[in-house]
Order: sequence, then structure tokens, then C-alpha cells
Amino acid sequence: MTDAPDAVVSAFEAERRRLLHRQWIHALLGVGITSVILGLSFHQSQFFDPEIGANPIGRILEFLARMAPHLRTEALLEGREVDGSLASWFYDLPGWLAALWETIEIAVVATVFGAVAAVFASFLCARNLMPWAPVRFLVRRLLEAIRTVPDLIMALILVAAFGAGATAGVITLTIATLGGLGKLFAEINEEVDPRQLEMLDAAGAGPVSKIRFGVLPQVLPNYASYILLRLEINVAAAGALGIVGAGGIGLELQRAITYTEFSTYLAILLLMVLVIFVIDMTSEAIRHNLLLRAEKS
Amino acid sequence: MMNQDATPLPSPLPGLALRGLLTLGGIAALIAMMVDLGISPVALAGGFTKLGVFLLAMFPPSDGGDLPRILKSLLETLAMALAGTTLAVLVAAPLGFLGARTVVGQPAFHFLFRRMLDFFRGVPVLVWALIFVAAFGLGPFGGVIALAVADIPSLSKLFAEAIENCDRGPVEGTRAAGGSRLHEIRFALAPQVAPILASQSLYYLESNFRNAAVLGIVGAGGIGFELEERIRIFAFDEVAFIVLLYMVAVALLDSLSRRLRSALA
Amino acid sequence: MLELRNISKSFGETIAVDGVSLTVARGEMVGVIGRSGSGKSTLLRLINRLAEPTSGEVLWDGEGVSRLKRRDLRKWRRRCAMIFQQFNLSPRLDVITNVLIGVVAERPLAMTLMKFFPASDRADAIRELDALDMGQTAFQRAGTLSGGQQQRVAIARAMMQKPDMILADEPVASLDPGNAEVVMKALQAAAGARGIPVLVSLHSLDLARRYCTRIVAMSKGRIIFDGSPSELSAEIVDRIYSAGANRNPAVHLAEVGAAA
Repeated sequence: MTDAPDAVVSAFEAERRRLLHRQWIHALLGVGITSVILGLSFHQSQFFDPEIGANPIGRILEFLARMAPHLRTEALLEGREVDGSLASWFYDLPGWLAALWETIEIAVVATVFGAVAAVFASFLCARNLMPWAPVRFLVRRLLEAIRTVPDLIMALILVAAFGAGATAGVITLTIATLGGLGKLFAEINEEVDPRQLEMLDAAGAGPVSKIRFGVLPQVLPNYASYILLRLEINVAAAGALGIVGAGGIGLELQRAITYTEFSTYLAILLLMVLVIFVIDMTSEAIRHNLLLRAEKS
Repeated sequence: MMNQDATPLPSPLPGLALRGLLTLGGIAALIAMMVDLGISPVALAGGFTKLGVFLLAMFPPSDGGDLPRILKSLLETLAMALAGTTLAVLVAAPLGFLGARTVVGQPAFHFLFRRMLDFFRGVPVLVWALIFVAAFGLGPFGGVIALAVADIPSLSKLFAEAIENCDRGPVEGTRAAGGSRLHEIRFALAPQVAPILASQSLYYLESNFRNAAVLGIVGAGGIGFELEERIRIFAFDEVAFIVLLYMVAVALLDSLSRRLRSALA
Repeated sequence: MLELRNISKSFGETIAVDGVSLTVARGEMVGVIGRSGSGKSTLLRLINRLAEPTSGEVLWDGEGVSRLKRRDLRKWRRRCAMIFQQFNLSPRLDVITNVLIGVVAERPLAMTLMKFFPASDRADAIRELDALDMGQTAFQRAGTLSGGQQQRVAIARAMMQKPDMILADEPVASLDPGNAEVVMKALQAAAGARGIPVLVSLHSLDLARRYCTRIVAMSKGRIIFDGSPSELSAEIVDRIYSAGANRNPAVHLAEVGAAA
């Protein structure tokens, strides 16, 4: 096509130059600002520190080598006393499993209490169930505040109050669960079919029976799937609590680091990851099932 | 007259009894766990009393005359979050590309790769931080590596899904016009994936600002270190001040990131 | 001149195209009609080699194209431009870049990846757009345009490819009647003024009769009619569209699957 008017082409080129010019300015500004911010961030994070930031890959490799367990193929299945056996790597397996069980208990107990608290909180801040706006506002802000404070910071304060041990961990995760689930439950509550509530209103039902017969039957499957999801999150979170003294496997991790037993750390880490993985897969399967059943009904 | 063929209604009793038993069993298990964990009414009462004292001590919040240092460590936390997220994105983008079924068409590879990502997804950031600070020494470097390592599995998975969910039409259009594999990526996949990638990265930045705040506990610097120090000496008025300041910072970062995200769409 | 020799394509058990032979000369506008799943779409994709034939050969001016690889294959695809029902533009790229994708097979890789195209290419692209009354949209994102406008951009891209042939797979099936006429006229102009053979698969028999110089009807992967529109009798039309046994949903699914 060469017979088209050249005016079209020159108009196009002029417009293109104008746009390109603007794009360049935007790109330069964007790239400039971003790289300054990121540069400062990496500088602050010691990435340009000649001692720490230099050769990070090499240091990671060196470190991985230190983490690798000392294993000998011929002694792999020998007892705990034999150097190079699997049993000597996992030398305190019963103790670690007990600590992991404690972690799971912390997560389960906290999920149960947190979920119950979240149900109450969610009724207090759902628009269709709580007529007083100030209450809704306060409860919502409170839940938001809980979600903002990292749970480990909460755990630090609670360990100071309750002493080292699982109690502080349970309370931390209960509060965190309240914050997380409360918001989700409130959203579910607000999607409840209003006709059923109107029917109960017409029948003269009080607020408690309205919730019992109008809301709960509709929301329970959704609640259940969120509670399971939260349980997964809580098991993982509980794994870290011990590091600040709030019980569970984290304490063993902390101990391994204190004695610079890096291969022990790896052993416990693998064990922990395995448990979390199994719980995640199980809970995912159950949630999937719940979802299917909720769709059918 | 009753119809003889009608099956009698199943008695509700067995079902109810079963549910009752299950509920009782659940409650019993819960109590057993609490006993096992050493949660006792006495300990709870004592703890909540102390907590009440702490909460009272939080008012009025005070900066303890150390505002510049607090602000500096808040910025340090932000810097760690930025550096950690950037590192995570730099590693997760190619990994996500590898993990996308539509890019690497090997089902076995795909399965193993995804399971690997799932496997390491659940490790809390502090567990990584503990080991990386031990490896690299006190300071933010180990913390940043921990943030990145904790993010990479889930971020890679998200990227892989974003690539898989791409519309294939533009890819085919580019191929039909004579484009090579690289052209398909450049002209059809990248324009679709890049905005999703950017917006997910911003989400992770928000979440990393929260994660970075705890890294100080294991010696990786930032606001977490300031908090731990003050909790140790029961300076709860200063703890309250730092937490409030931090909440404001979180709200600011979240709203900035939300704005950027909506500009990307 | 395009020549298909006894070409077949099966997806697993289902046969989509069953031993089709066909010759298309320059300047012809061939309408391929048939029910869903009759193999029209697969036939066009076999020519452009978006799909590989199970057996048979595709020849252009006597030379086989079935064994072309890499750069040669891409150049072949550039030469037989393809237009799709869903336009297949990159919705987030601007219109002019979408049109310029038509030359990537002929330009240095590094340059095209940086979206850098010579001024002469840009001029060609804007002229092609202008010819279809789309010059004003050059800097808009393709995804913001209407269906009819997007299909016109796709035609501009096809023209940008300086094609030896145009394959259009249901180009008007997603468009309103007005835009359908515009798109069909553009294809007709390409065949008439530039002498490029056009193969267009169509649902609408009416459009096929009005715009095409020749009609090929397919059923169950075979050609059951090949002639001028005037020769297409009511009895043949009946055979194409009415027989329930013609319908082969499996093939349709396989085609859709291959396109997805």
C-alpha cells in the first residue's frame, strides 16, 4: 500500500513522537525513583556490605554444606550411637515429635476458641444482624487492629504476662484467629439470604433464634472451610511461637541454633515441614469435600 | 388410613445420639489437650491480671525520647520488606514460568515441581530467619534472605497459575503471523502476565512489611528489635507508641499499594 | 497456487479431515461451508500449520510446506495470513504494535523483541489501518475496541504480512451484521485488487453466496461440493445442513481443544 496519503503517516509519526516523549519521561522517572528506593533498601540490608553482602551465593553454599548431615551409607540404618547413621542425625526424634504434637495442640485449641470468638464478633459487626452502627464500627476496628499487629509481637507481650510456655502461645493464636476469621465470618453473614430472616421476623423470632434458624444453617459450611484453612495457618504459625518462648517445636529449633547444631536444625525443619504438609493436604481434601457438598445442597 | 408401602420415617434418635457423642468427644479431647498444654485456671487468672497491668501501663503511649531511632528502625523494616520482596520476585518469576503447565509440557516435572513448592510453602518466616541470621550474622541481611525464601514457593505458584490462566488466543495469533516462541512470550504472554505479576508483588510487599516487623526478634534488626528490647524491660508505654506508629505505617503502605494496584489494572 | 493433496488429520480416534484434495488459484475467494465439526477449521489450520496433518501434503507453487521448520516455517506462516473468529489480538498492546506483529518473521529478532520497527514498517502499518478506517485508533489498546474494530485490526495485520494467501476462520461469526459486511468486503478487496487467494470458512450461506467466487462444502471431514455459488442447489444445501448423522461433536470438541 503506497497510494495512501502521506499526511496520515506524518500525523501518525507526530503523535507517536509525542507519546514516546511522554513515555520516556514516565519510564525514566519510574525507573529512577524505583532504583533509588530499592538501592537504598538493599544497601540498608547489608547487600553492599563487603563482608556480608559479598559473594552471597558462595556463602549460602558454604552454609548448606554446614547444614548437611554427616551420613555414611554403610551405617545409615545403625543405632543412635553409631556416627553417620540416620538415627544419630535424628537423635532426639521422640522429643521432637512430642514438641510437634504440642505445636499441633496449640494450633487446634487456639483455632477452636478463636473460631468461637470470631462467630460472636462477626454477629456484632454484620450489617444485617447488628442494628447499632457504633458497635459494628468498634468491633470492626478492633478486628482490624488485631490483624495489623504481627502475632509474634503479640506473643512476646503474652509470654511476658503468662510466662514461657504453651499458654501464651494458645492465647496469641486465639486472638490472631479472632482477627482473621471475624472479618471473613462477618462477610459471610452479610451474604445471608434476607428472605429467611424476614420470615423469622414475621414469625416474631428474637435475635437468638434468628441467628440459630435463619443464619447458622446457611453459613456453617462456609465457616467450616475457613476454620480448616485457619487451622493450616495456625499450625505453621505455632511452629514459630517457640522461638519467642511460647511453646512447641520452635523451642527445639532455637536450641539447635544456640548449640550451632545446623544439621539438627535441618532435621527438625524437615520434620516440621512434613507435618505441616500432611495437615495441609488432609485439610485441603476435606475443604474440597465441604465445598462440593455445599454446592449440591 | 396409612399407606402400607410407606417406609416409616427413620427415627431421629440414633443420629442425635451420634451427634451428641461426637460433640462430647470433641469437648473431652479439647479439655485433654488444654490439660496437656498446662493451661490452668490459676495460670490464666495470674496471666490476665498481669496483662491488665501491662495494658494499663501502655497509657499514655510515649516515645521515650527516642523518636529518631524508632523512625529509623521503622524505615529499616520497610527497607527489608522491599529488598526481600524484590529478591523473591526475581527468583519466583522464572520459577513460576517453569512451573506453568502451558510452558513446560512435562506432566511428571510439573507435578514434582508443584509438590516441591507446596512442601516448603508452610514454613514461617521466623523459622527461616533464625537459621539465616545464624548463617550470615546479626543484621538485616539474613532477615531479607529469610523473607525472600519464605515467599518464593507461594509466589512462584501464583505466577505459574497466572501464566496458565492466560488467554491462548493472542499466543496463537502471534504464532499464526510468523512469530517465534520468544515473540509469543513478548507480544502475547508478557502483556497479560506482567500486570498480574506486579499486583501480586505489591500484595507480597504489604505482607512482608508485617513479616519484617518480627525479624528483629532473632536479631535481624528493624522495628521488631526495638519492640523486643522494650518488652523485656516492661516499658509498655513505649511499646504502645511503637505499635501505634507501626499500625499507621502499615495503613499508609497498604493504601499506597492499593492505589498502585488499581492503576495497573 | 495452493494445492492440498489427500490431506488428513485425526485427533485420537476422531477423524477431523479425511483425505481432502483441493486447489486454489490466485484471485479466488473460496468460501468453506459446513456444520460445526465438519472439519472446516482444522482444514485451514493445517494449511497454516497451526496443526500438523496426520497424512497428506500441502504445496505452494508446487513446493511442499509440510516439512518446513523453524525460520522457514515462520516465514511460511507469514505468507499465509490467518484471521480468527476471536481476533486473537494482544488486548493490552496498542493497535499499531498488534499490526506490526505481522512483520516479526522478517525482521531481526532482537529489534522486534524491543518493539523497535523501522519507520517504513510503521508507515505501512498506519496505511493498512487507514485503509480500513482504523487509523485513529493506532495508539489505543486493542482490548478497548469493539469486536468489529478488532477484526479490522486483525485484517490490517494480515495485510501487513504481505501474504500470498489469506485464511479466515469464521471471521464474522462473533460480529454484528454491519461489521460482518465490512470485514467480508475487506477480504473481497484483498482477493480482487491484490489478487491474493482467500479461503474463508463461514457459517452463513448467504454471505458465502454473495462474496465468494467459489464454494467448498464439507461434511464429516470430506469435501462434498466444490463449485461456483450458482451451482449450489437447494438439494446440496439440504445435504450439508440437514443430515443429523453429519454432526460429529467429537471433532468439534477436538478442534476447539486444539484452538484453546
